[in-house]
Amino acid sequence: MAKRIAFILLRLFATLFAVTFLTFLMVALLPGDPVDTILGTGPRAPGIEEQIRDDLNLDDPFFVRYVSWLGNAVTGDLGTSYITDQPVADTIQSRLPVTAQIAFMSIFLAVAIAIPVGVLGAYKQGKWPDTVSSAGVQVGLSIPNFVFGIFLIWLFAVQLNWLPASNWNRFSDGIVDNLKTSILPAVSLALAQMALFSRLVRSDMMATLRENYILSARAKGLSDSYILFRHALRPSSLSLMTIVGISFGALLGGTVIIESLFAVPGLGFSLIAAINGRDILVIQGITVFIAAMFVIINTIVDLLYAVLDPRIRRK
Amino acid sequence: MRQRRVVTALAIPLVLAFVAASCGSDSSTETGTDTTTEENTETETTDGGPAVTAAPEEVQTSVVEETETAVYGGTVTIGLESEATGLRPWEDSCSSPCYHIMRSIYDPLMEQIGDGGYGPFLAESLSSNDDFTVWTMTLRPDVTFHNGTALTAQTIADMFPLQQAGAAGSSIISASNLTGVAALDELTVEYTLSKPTVAFPATLAGAPVGFPFDPAAAAADSAGYSTNPIGTGPFVMVSRDIDNETVVERNPDYWFTDVDGNQLPFLDSISFRPIPDEGTRLDALISGTTNAAQSLRQGTIRDAREASGIELIEFQGNVTGGGMYNTDIAPYDDVRVRSGLSRMNDQERVIEALGGTGISLPTTQFFSADSVWWTQEAADAYQTFDFEAAKALLQEYIDDPARSDGKAPGEKIDVELSCPPDPTLIAAMQVIEQVWTGSELVNVSLTQFDQATHINNAVSDTHKAHCWRWGGEGDPSAPVNPFVAPAVDSVANFTNFDDPEMLAWSLEASATDDFELRKELYGKIMIRINELALTWYSGGTAVMIAHAPGIKGFNTWTLPDGTLGTGIAPEAQARWFQVFITE
Repeated sequence: MAKRIAFILLRLFATLFAVTFLTFLMVALLPGDPVDTILGTGPRAPGIEEQIRDDLNLDDPFFVRYVSWLGNAVTGDLGTSYITDQPVADTIQSRLPVTAQIAFMSIFLAVAIAIPVGVLGAYKQGKWPDTVSSAGVQVGLSIPNFVFGIFLIWLFAVQLNWLPASNWNRFSDGIVDNLKTSILPAVSLALAQMALFSRLVRSDMMATLRENYILSARAKGLSDSYILFRHALRPSSLSLMTIVGISFGALLGGTVIIESLFAVPGLGFSLIAAINGRDILVIQGITVFIAAMFVIINTIVDLLYAVLDPRIRRK
Repeated sequence: MRQRRVVTALAIPLVLAFVAASCGSDSSTETGTDTTTEENTETETTDGGPAVTAAPEEVQTSVVEETETAVYGGTVTIGLESEATGLRPWEDSCSSPCYHIMRSIYDPLMEQIGDGGYGPFLAESLSSNDDFTVWTMTLRPDVTFHNGTALTAQTIADMFPLQQAGAAGSSIISASNLTGVAALDELTVEYTLSKPTVAFPATLAGAPVGFPFDPAAAAADSAGYSTNPIGTGPFVMVSRDIDNETVVERNPDYWFTDVDGNQLPFLDSISFRPIPDEGTRLDALISGTTNAAQSLRQGTIRDAREASGIELIEFQGNVTGGGMYNTDIAPYDDVRVRSGLSRMNDQERVIEALGGTGISLPTTQFFSADSVWWTQEAADAYQTFDFEAAKALLQEYIDDPARSDGKAPGEKIDVELSCPPDPTLIAAMQVIEQVWTGSELVNVSLTQFDQATHINNAVSDTHKAHCWRWGGEGDPSAPVNPFVAPAVDSVANFTNFDDPEMLAWSLEASATDDFELRKELYGKIMIRINELALTWYSGGTAVMIAHAPGIKGFNTWTLPDGTLGTGIAPEAQARWFQVFITE
C-alpha cells in the first residue's frame, strides 16, 4: 500500500512538473511580441519597450525564464500582473472561492439528480421511466452549457424575472443573495454533468443488479428500495466517484464560458481577461493552478479508491 | 428636493440621407455638416437622444429642446463590456468601460464640447503662446480632492514625474510633445512643449495627463491607488470588487454647481458591473438586474432596438470599420492591386454582414459625415464599389511583366485577408472574399487571430490585407498624425507608406489654430489616402447607452460654463455628474 501511495505521489509531482513546463512553453509560443501587445497601437515613450522587456525578463533564454519562474512559483510567488499590478497569487486566492463554489454546486446538483435518475433507469430498464430518463440524458449531453445558460437567463431573468441575469453576490452579501446569483451558472454547468453521471450510474447499477448477492437479498424478501440504495448503490458508485473527481477538477478550469456568460468573477473570468490582454504571468499562474488542481484531485481520487475498494487495498 | 430645468439637446445628429449621398448616391448635392432642417424638428427623441427607430432615409435634427426635471437621489447600476484594468490615470490604459468609472472619480482639466473643440472644466482658462509651444492654464479655485487636499498648480506640477514614469502617461506625454510642467502661482500652470501642438487641449481632456490625482497619495501607494482612487470628481470610491462590482457614492463636497444653481451630482451612488457577454448585458438591463448598459456592438444595438421597456442613446462618431494594406509587402505595394481590391469592397453588403444595416452608415474617410472634419472632396475621392473597374486594375497588374510579387504575367494574385474571429467580422470577411474570388483574378486566403495577436501583427508589420478600425472623437491629429508619420518612427503608420506631403500637411495642421486651414489639410490627407487606396472602409461604428426609462442626463450634460457637452461621445461614455433618475 505504501509503495502504491509513493508511486501515486511520484506521478503527481512528475505530472505537475510537466504541466508547468508545457504551460510556460505554450505561453511563450503565443504569436507576437508580448511587448507590442501590452503597448498596443498607441504612441510609445522612448525606452518603454526595453523597460517592459526587462521587467518581464523577456530577453532571457526560455529555460532561464522557466527555472526562475518555477523557483518562485514553488514558494507561492506567481509574479505580479503587468497590467493590473496585482500579485497573481492574490488574484487566484480571490477568484478560487467563486469558481469552486460554482463547481461544487453544479457537481452537487448533478449527483443529486443523477443518482435517482440512474438508479430508476436501471431498475426500470426498458420501461417508460428508463426511456424518458434516457431521452433526457441525451438532451442533456447534446446541449452545450452556454446555450443552456442563455436559455436559463431568458426564462428566469427576462421572462419570469425571478433571478438576476448576471452579477455576483458574495457570501458576505447573505446566503440567499449569493444563491440567487450562483444558481443559474451552477445549473448551466450541472446539466451535462447530470446526464453523464446518470448514464454511468445506470450502467453500473445494471451490472450490480445482476450480481448473486443482489439475487440473494431479493430472495430474503428485502424491499427493492433497500436493495437498490443499501446494497447496490455503493458498489455501483466507484465509477461515479472517479468521474465526479475528474469533473470537479475539470470544472475548475471549465467554467470559463459560463463565468463570462453570467459575469461571475471567478478564475475563468480572470483567465479570459488575461488572455485578451496578454497578461503573461496571470495566464501562466491561473493555467498552472487549474492544471495542478486537476492533477491533485485525480490523485486524491486514486488514493480514495484504495480506501473504498478492498481489492485494490489488498493488491 | 431641489429641481432644475434641463435643456435637452440632441447633440449628435444622425444625418443619414446626407451620408448616403456622400457614399455614391446621386440623390443629393448637399455639403457641409449643418444639416438641421426645420421640417424634421418633430423627430421623436428620447431624453434628447436620437430617435432609435429611425429609418435610414430619415434626416434627423441636430438640436431638439425639451425640459426635464432633475431629481436628487437614486442609484444607477450599469453593465459595462469589461472591467477597468486599473483606475490610476497616469499608469493604467483606459478604454471605454474604464472611462465610465474614471469619469465618476476624476474630473478632466478640459472637456470636449459639441462643436468638436475643447472647453475648460477643472481649468478655468487655457491659452497658448503664438507658436503653441507654451500653454498657460488657470485652475478653478476651491477644488479639493476626496481626501480634502486642495487642488493647486503645484499639484499639477507634482503629478508630472509620476505621469512621465507611468505606462499610460509616458506614452501620451511623448506623443503630445510635453516636456515640462511648472506652477507659476497658486492656480497657474505652465506646460512647455517641444514642438508646436495646437491640439494640446485634447491631451488635457484625457486620463493620463488631464485627470488630476493626488500625487502624494499616489507616490505613497501606487498599487493601492488603483483600488482606492482619489480624484476631485462627483463620486467617491466605496468598494472595488474587481471583475464583479465597483461602487461609488456621491461626493458631498463636489465643487461643481451647474448654471441653474444645482449642486451636483444628482445620483446617490453608481454601481459598475462588468458583464462581458453582450447578450447577457442586454438581458440584465431588460430584466432589471441593471438599469443601464453600454455597448460598442451593432448587433447589440439592433437587439436593444427591438427590446421593450428600455431607451437607447445611440451615437455614431468618427470611428469607422474597414481595413488596410501593408505596402511593404507585395502585391500590396502596388496601387493597382490596392485600388482593385478596394473597389471590390461592397460596403452595403459588408455592413449587412456585420449586422449594421440601418444602424451603421457607409464611410469614406476617418470622419463621419456629421463631423466638422468631414469633407466632400475626400468622400468623392473614395474608391467606391465598381467591379468592372476593379477587375481592369487587377488585370493590368497581372499582365505586367514587372509585377511586384515576382509571379509570371497572367498568374492570379495571392491575397491574404485577416480579421479577428468575431462572427460578424468573419461574415464580412467572407463577403469581401466572395467578391475578390469572383473576379477570378485573385487567390484569397483568410486568416483569423485573436484580437491581441491581430493587433500585434499590425504593430509588428507582419500583416497584409488587415481588418482595422479607424478614427477617434478627439482632435484629428490623434488618429491622423501617427498614421502619416514616418513608418520607422511610428507604430501607427500601419500601411508603412511614407508620403512627405502628407507628413508636411499633418505637421502644418498641428501648428495652426485656423480651423478652416486645419480642415483643409486633414481633408487633403484623407483624399491622398483614398487616392492611394491605403485603407478601405465599411461603416461607422455605432455605440449606445441603453437605460431604464427614468434615467436622464446622459446626453445633456454641460460644462461648468453651461456649454453643451458631447453626449455619450466618445465610445458610449457617460459623464455622471448630471445624470439623474426621474422615476
